Amino acid sequence: MKVMTKKMMNIDDLKTIQGNVNKEKQLKQRGNKVRITIHMGTCGIASGAQKVMDAVLDEMSKCGRSDILIVSSGCIGLCSQEPLVTLEVLGEEPVIYHQVDEQKIRQIFKGHILQGEIQYDVALARGKAVNEEPMSNGSDTIPHVSQLPFFGLQKSWVLRNKGLIDPEKIDDYIWRNGYQAAAKALLEMTPLEIITEVKTSGLRGRGGGGFPTGIKWEFCATSKGDIKYVLCNADEGDPGAFMDRSVMEADPHAVLEGMTIAAKAINSHQGYIYCRAEYPLAVKRINLAIQQAREYGLLGKDILNSGFDFDVEVYQGAGAFVCGEETALMGSIEGRRGMPRPRPPFPAISGLWKKPTVLNNVETYANIPQIIIKGGESYAKIGTESSKGTKVFALTGKVNRIGLVEVPMGTTLGEIIFDIGGGTPSGKRFKAAQLGGPSGGCIPAEHLNTPTDYEAIAKAGAIMGSGGLIVMDDDTCMVDMARYFMDFCQDESCGKCTPCRVGTKRMLEILQRICKGEGRQGDIELLEDLAQQIKDTALCGLGQTAPNPILSTIRYFRHEYEAHILEKHCPAAVCSELFKSPCQHTCPVGMDIPAYIALVRAGRIDDAYKVLKRTNAFPSVCGRVCGHTCQMKCRRGQLDEPVAIMHLKRFITDHAERPNIEPLPVTRKERVAIIGAGPSGLTAALELRKRGYEVTVFEQMPGAGGMLRWGIPAYRLPREELDREIQEILDTGVKLRTNVRIGKDITFETLNKDFDMIYLAIGAQKSAPLNIPGEEAEGVLGAVEFLRDYNLGKEVQVGKHVAVIGGGNSAIDSARTAIRLGAKKVTIYYRRERKDMPAQEWEIRAAEEEGVQIKYLAAPVRIITQYGKVTKLELTQMRLDKFDRSGRKQPKPILGSEFAEKVETVISAISQNADLGFLPKGSGIEINQATVKVDKDLRTTNDKVWAGGDVVTGPAMVIDAIQAGQRAAREMDETIRSANGERPWVPPAEEMIAIPFEVDAETKEQPQAPIPEVSPELRRKDFREVELGYTLEMAMAEARRCMRCDAKVE
Amino acid sequence: MVNLTIDNQTIQVPDGTTVLEAARRIGIQIPTLCANLEIHHTPGACRVCVVEMERSRNLVASCVYPVAEGMKVRTNTERVRRARQTVIEFILSDHPQDCTLCQKNGHCELQSVAEQVGVREIRVPRTDFTDRRIDESSPSLMRDASYCINCLRCVTVCAEVQGVHCLTPEARGFHCKVVPAMGADLMDAVCVMCGQCAVVCPTGAIVERDEVDKVWAALEDPNKHVIVQEAPAIRAMLGEEFDLPPGTLVTGKMIAALRRLGFAKVFDTNFTADLTIIEEGNELLNRVKNGGKLPMMTSCSPGWIKFIEHFYPSLLPNLSTCKSPQQMFGALAKTYYAEFAGIDPKDIFVVSIMPCTAKKFEASRPEMNSSGYRDVDVVLTSRELGRMIRQTGIDFVNLPDEPFDAPMGQYTGAGTIFGATGGVMEAALRTVYAVVTGKNLPGLDIMPVRGLEGVKEASIEVGKLGEVRIAVAHGLANARKLMDKIIEGSAHYHFIEIMACPGGCVGGGGQSLPASNEKRMLRAQALYRDDQHVQKFRQSHENPAVKQLYETFLYEPLGERSHKLLHTHYLKRGV
Repeated sequence: MKVMTKKMMNIDDLKTIQGNVNKEKQLKQRGNKVRITIHMGTCGIASGAQKVMDAVLDEMSKCGRSDILIVSSGCIGLCSQEPLVTLEVLGEEPVIYHQVDEQKIRQIFKGHILQGEIQYDVALARGKAVNEEPMSNGSDTIPHVSQLPFFGLQKSWVLRNKGLIDPEKIDDYIWRNGYQAAAKALLEMTPLEIITEVKTSGLRGRGGGGFPTGIKWEFCATSKGDIKYVLCNADEGDPGAFMDRSVMEADPHAVLEGMTIAAKAINSHQGYIYCRAEYPLAVKRINLAIQQAREYGLLGKDILNSGFDFDVEVYQGAGAFVCGEETALMGSIEGRRGMPRPRPPFPAISGLWKKPTVLNNVETYANIPQIIIKGGESYAKIGTESSKGTKVFALTGKVNRIGLVEVPMGTTLGEIIFDIGGGTPSGKRFKAAQLGGPSGGCIPAEHLNTPTDYEAIAKAGAIMGSGGLIVMDDDTCMVDMARYFMDFCQDESCGKCTPCRVGTKRMLEILQRICKGEGRQGDIELLEDLAQQIKDTALCGLGQTAPNPILSTIRYFRHEYEAHILEKHCPAAVCSELFKSPCQHTCPVGMDIPAYIALVRAGRIDDAYKVLKRTNAFPSVCGRVCGHTCQMKCRRGQLDEPVAIMHLKRFITDHAERPNIEPLPVTRKERVAIIGAGPSGLTAALELRKRGYEVTVFEQMPGAGGMLRWGIPAYRLPREELDREIQEILDTGVKLRTNVRIGKDITFETLNKDFDMIYLAIGAQKSAPLNIPGEEAEGVLGAVEFLRDYNLGKEVQVGKHVAVIGGGNSAIDSARTAIRLGAKKVTIYYRRERKDMPAQEWEIRAAEEEGVQIKYLAAPVRIITQYGKVTKLELTQMRLDKFDRSGRKQPKPILGSEFAEKVETVISAISQNADLGFLPKGSGIEINQATVKVDKDLRTTNDKVWAGGDVVTGPAMVIDAIQAGQRAAREMDETIRSANGERPWVPPAEEMIAIPFEVDAETKEQPQAPIPEVSPELRRKDFREVELGYTLEMAMAEARRCMRCDAKVE
Repeated sequence: MVNLTIDNQTIQVPDGTTVLEAARRIGIQIPTLCANLEIHHTPGACRVCVVEMERSRNLVASCVYPVAEGMKVRTNTERVRRARQTVIEFILSDHPQDCTLCQKNGHCELQSVAEQVGVREIRVPRTDFTDRRIDESSPSLMRDASYCINCLRCVTVCAEVQGVHCLTPEARGFHCKVVPAMGADLMDAVCVMCGQCAVVCPTGAIVERDEVDKVWAALEDPNKHVIVQEAPAIRAMLGEEFDLPPGTLVTGKMIAALRRLGFAKVFDTNFTADLTIIEEGNELLNRVKNGGKLPMMTSCSPGWIKFIEHFYPSLLPNLSTCKSPQQMFGALAKTYYAEFAGIDPKDIFVVSIMPCTAKKFEASRPEMNSSGYRDVDVVLTSRELGRMIRQTGIDFVNLPDEPFDAPMGQYTGAGTIFGATGGVMEAALRTVYAVVTGKNLPGLDIMPVRGLEGVKEASIEVGKLGEVRIAVAHGLANARKLMDKIIEGSAHYHFIEIMACPGGCVGGGGQSLPASNEKRMLRAQALYRDDQHVQKFRQSHENPAVKQLYETFLYEPLGERSHKLLHTHYLKRGV
């Protein structure tokens, strides 16, 4: 083999090298049988790729084989699975191994290399990481790369060499058609032809601005001047962006080649790459590439005998974000302080050293060689009308598959985040994606269908930016996020212009005070105004875009700002100055969770119970059926699993001594009527009773409890537990009148006359109809009605096969009840996928254990009847289409996929509505669709009437109903007192309960203690309680897991 | 020429004009806090001058935006007004709200721009200034960064006009402030104390060190005999402090005012300016005749002296060894005058009124004590004198004209023109010519050295001396050009006059504000008027008081007493 060390003279030499380096040939010719590629980008090295490399070298020396080629290559994009290793045995399809460590690589080395056995337990996929067809059907045990959504949905153009070449070897690049484009441009094309090709491609600047590259080059080419410069902006500084770094690390020659072509287009002979010094590996590889290209005569004088001279130098920036701004960047190269200067004149006229200059970013240049080789037309075929080609995104944040993805322009954000990225981890809900870094904006769930197209993204309030895509879930506070980016911008402002230097600081200070709970009325409007003024007046792009994160978060998450300012509440439980602990802050009634858990740990169960009762009259109920959003925010969950707050709560109520309840005196003349004896109504009754009012609760059913009694099955909530907590409320002197239906047994007008205030807490008691033909048939039931009838003791019959439609908790309750009632087969049909089901995960699992089948992506079409009875249910298969406003994919029927199931009973559990028929026309209470309209204090449009719970919100958690009851009582009381000119109510002093502070010196990983359950075989036969509750030892051990976020270091 | 429309008025202006300049032509004063066209400073930094530009997404800074054919500009829309108000609101939120205590109160551009754009409310959080630190290290200037609004004018004037590069923006973001390089205090930095930064500063961030109270204390002290000298430029400048038109010659009123302030004697620096010419002229002749170091360079400007000490220490031998007129005056006041008046020199307190901040530094130089005491005790700038007179409530404008005291109050026109660039050169040549040729220079005027051209060159036939080649530079960046040429060996002059400040002393760092080239020109013209029309004598060697000084005290130019009292040496400071 001819070794090329001397300066290359012409294009034939290029071809020779290309032939020589053909990897397949190389493998054979050298007698190599195996190539092992370790992907060593910065990301890989950070994950331990160097150790893997060392282990490989070690194994090599031990095994004594000489037919193994070891290659160090760049990142293939799947950062979350690193270190990654590709192993190729001659004649076989390569295998990619993931999350490799020293031990695994020794296993792979011995197993795969020496014994020829693919190590399936460590293997990720077979094939190459760039779009290439599978070599064969191969093994089914591991998928082909193209079958993995992460790779299969990508399109490699800029990243076409990722993982295939050794970035430190120019021959590798040449093997992949490297420098062919430069040769073509220098030897065969005129500058005008190059510019035309780039214009045809429709390529737009990938640095963020999206200015058409061809037009920029044309401006510069036609600009007067003998000396011109080609600059490459490699000062990637957006938080969460690592596209350019990866390109430089994995394929540095592509950038040099792109720059050379640009140089020819504008007739420049000197280029600079401005790269941040924080990218040492990229700097090293680019410098190496420059050196190698010079040695080959691909940079320097008379490149490829073309007579054209061009050379490149790397200029390292000291990490000032503003130096990514073009005029500041040029100032920095000139040796001045990196401060932007006003434009015009534009760099194409007067740039570096006042000479005409083209400045593009790394990704833009890396696009160019392929455009020249394949033609602008072929590039323009990819993408959308206004945004052509592919775009590389750095996908990061709360997403399962973090990494570098290249997709055709126009791919929707939802596809990138959910299909390629695999969605958000740990079941948390996707909230928004930040696009374009600190200059960009957030795009919320409702805009997941936004295509990655410059204009569409701008319309949604963000910018394409350089491609940083940060995914955020429920645990991100949008105010805090805006604060973070504003902090970044004000810190990185060069300080030259007033709006950026002072304005961003002022906005930051306002955000800081909002996050601290010191926000003021009008702060949102002030922020909006300041943002507008700063955008309008700042000198450069940094300042002009700095307010974007604020504007876009206000646009989509104004309610979060309002919660911080008005309620001093951080819905994501992030702004720690607003609360003691995230769990307590998240609880709608603010239960002092750390306190009662600490008391459990100390074995003081009775005290713990008292703490529970301070804020919640239904702790036993909540210990069983509450949704426990508090657990989602438990910081322990970031370590292993959240503390089992629910189980501990139940443990306390199971074991604590219940204090006697004394009736409370009536101290006020006003009387309050409460309609509905559910958790909301009863809570309001108790709270009003505490404040001295005479309270009467009207209930149309024969017993109190509402949904807790008539909706939730006893195997989840034993009736004696419910009865006991209701009785404790009634014991305070609350009057309860059951079997009284307003409008029938007593008129609304009478109530209105007899009482000073009315609280409407009737819940949502009516199942929503399926709205399909045949619904009126015998055997079609609403879930609410079905459960209520059973709980009333009515005889309820179910057929052999019961179909339940829906995916919420009532669907699960109906299905599990049907099983207990003797149905042979119960199937839940849900139109989306399991991850989209609103029901609690453990409920779904429990149902499955009991034999309930769940069919996903199926929706009912019609009910087939015979003699008025259900015989069959016709369903259609659904497919998931675009994302809906909730951030889930919308199910759409697949035409022609209808199928019928033989069923005798159909239970509709798709939603519930309130039954508001009893309200007379003149009640003055306005209704919004099926809910009652209230103001922020829960007051209806009738001054005397308040409303809360499901009748206002639609079906929600029991704790929300309890919270509404507390709030309504407080507001009613305050309204009455302030009308009378009285002072606000002061609650009686509480018994002092000292909360111990005891934490383990060391926190060891240990998951949640599981709750003992009755076995599925036994429990499916009756309605006994399924969960058995913790023992004292279990509870105390679980309580030790609490990390006591409430503790403050004094 | 380019046609554009500003606020519906069509206007034609030369290519390269900025929108701000174009607007001024049709009488629209767009407010600005950073742009300073005279020093070619248009950083587009303050953003007060924003205007609406058709087809532009954002507002643009008119001070830097070049006009283009068919451009449509709106300078007065709700959007523009709100933007300007917000920008000023931002600046004020980061600016101490203690205007009434600020030295610049009443002369502050931020005050007037805030008034112009009409800010009535600061809605945003404000900076806490409780821990402000004032740099009081320099005898000439004081720097309070909390007043700095980052207009960067001082940076530009220091680097581009003065070639000193002492000041630079430091740190990023909100903490970005202009500081002497490496964050040093002024006294430790390579600062020449010229005060041009203070002249262009729109606020009170850099000001002269105010020493009025020291003077009051001396005047109140019954044991002190307080005498005063005024630099030539003061008489052409002081009227501006009292709203008289620039270039009004107020010599007599100045004397009257000083007398009313309580100075025991009102003398004049012009007297020692004449004396300088005698000493310096003889030094030049001496160097030319005896092969001394040439070109000889003037030494009257203390900013220039510090500059050459820092940047061109190798050229120090070229400097005239003459003290500046201020220091000659001080040295003589405590010797010659003390003897003359029979007062113990320890009781004599010499105050100078100078258009210059570097003079404060000069007076504080340790070697300036050849009389056995500090030659000059306190130096006040014209601005300080203005403040002092205002403090007393003296109706300056209506004061009668009064004459100087003897023996150090008499002067010639040659002394007066020291205040303008080229003046020292002209005065020196008048005397040198007369000494060498025994005849007066024809017409006595040397027009090529006058005016605001940065570097002026001329050559004059001086009898048997032959051709005398001279150069005059003002503004230290211009001085740099000359010095570099000399070091290169490409300049062959006999005599060079350098004044640190643009326009010479009439453009000094202590001049009445606001400064402008037009004012500098008018002041210089007033000095030339004084020379041509007011003074009886126009050549220094004709000054009878100077003659008397030599006869009774010094005996001869460059003599022993002169050497001790009137000449000095310089330091190699380096950078």
